[in-house]
Amino acid sequence: MHDHHDSADTLGLHFFGNMTASISHELKNALAIVNENGGLLGDLALLMEKGRPLDPERLKTISGNIRKQVQRADDIVRRLNRFAHSAHEPATTGDVAEVLEFTVTLAARLATMKGVTMTVAQGAPVPLETRPFLLENMLWLCLKHLFVLSEGNQSVEFTAEAAGADVQIGLRFGEGLPAAEIEKRVAREGQPLLAELQAELRSEADRLFLTIPQKAAR
Amino acid sequence: MRVLLVDDEEELVATLAERLEMRGIEATWATDYRAALAAVEEKEFDIALLDVRMPEMNGLELKRLIEARQPGMKFIFLTGHGSEEDFNACSAESGKQYYLIKPLQIEVLMAKLHEIAHS
Repeated sequence: MHDHHDSADTLGLHFFGNMTASISHELKNALAIVNENGGLLGDLALLMEKGRPLDPERLKTISGNIRKQVQRADDIVRRLNRFAHSAHEPATTGDVAEVLEFTVTLAARLATMKGVTMTVAQGAPVPLETRPFLLENMLWLCLKHLFVLSEGNQSVEFTAEAAGADVQIGLRFGEGLPAAEIEKRVAREGQPLLAELQAELRSEADRLFLTIPQKAAR
Repeated sequence: MRVLLVDDEEELVATLAERLEMRGIEATWATDYRAALAAVEEKEFDIALLDVRMPEMNGLELKRLIEARQPGMKFIFLTGHGSEEDFNACSAESGKQYYLIKPLQIEVLMAKLHEIAHS
């Protein structure tokens, strides 16, 4: 639990910890599968030594499985590397959808654990000048509280649109979740982030909105 | 010995089941709680190896549902990390420290299965 006294830096540290812990679980799973496939190769070699014929197709399948998991682990490490560098990345101008997509990728495992599926609505690029890490952290807080209040089988769609001199990011999650309660919890915990981003948070029936000045970055 | 393996990583449980079969263990695998409960309704098992962190229902909750259907079954929990939180929860739930960390060593798993089966 955090309270409203946490600074943006402290919140950032919690965010970093949550994400890296989740990523390490994913890596462990990939390694566990490589380990079992490697073990299976050893088992089959022992059986072959005892005279049992070995089907080359079986070897090809196991080899393919190992390569697939190595590729998976490589993707995970790339994501971790990008995330690690985003922590000290200065404010830059980019399409906000890229930050949304990356946040969805980062939080995907935790969402799956909670029975939540996430998508990003496609649309024209929406430029925003911000520190990506701060925005990722803010979006994660929204998701975290949504996950806590979700009872599973929930979908979340991120949207982004320009609104005058602002950018409006939406999280649409359908009815059944208390949007006002999520807003209250996010605002309480994320106040320092909202201040850093110069952002405003509000809720409607089935969605949250985060409004950020297009050139608010410090 | 009949063992039920439950983990949401299909390739992991399928491969592990094959390796256990090579060692004379009758292994059945499932990737979610529904399939696990269906397997328990259909067949008796001696031991279940349950991943702690799975979507929809975690291994600790699943253990209680399985136990209600097959009270004599024994359990080993499987996790990606040996966090103190997981360790305490699994120990409390299994009654003993029947808790293994991924990646598994098959010899360690076999020893644990035999230890539990004869306990």
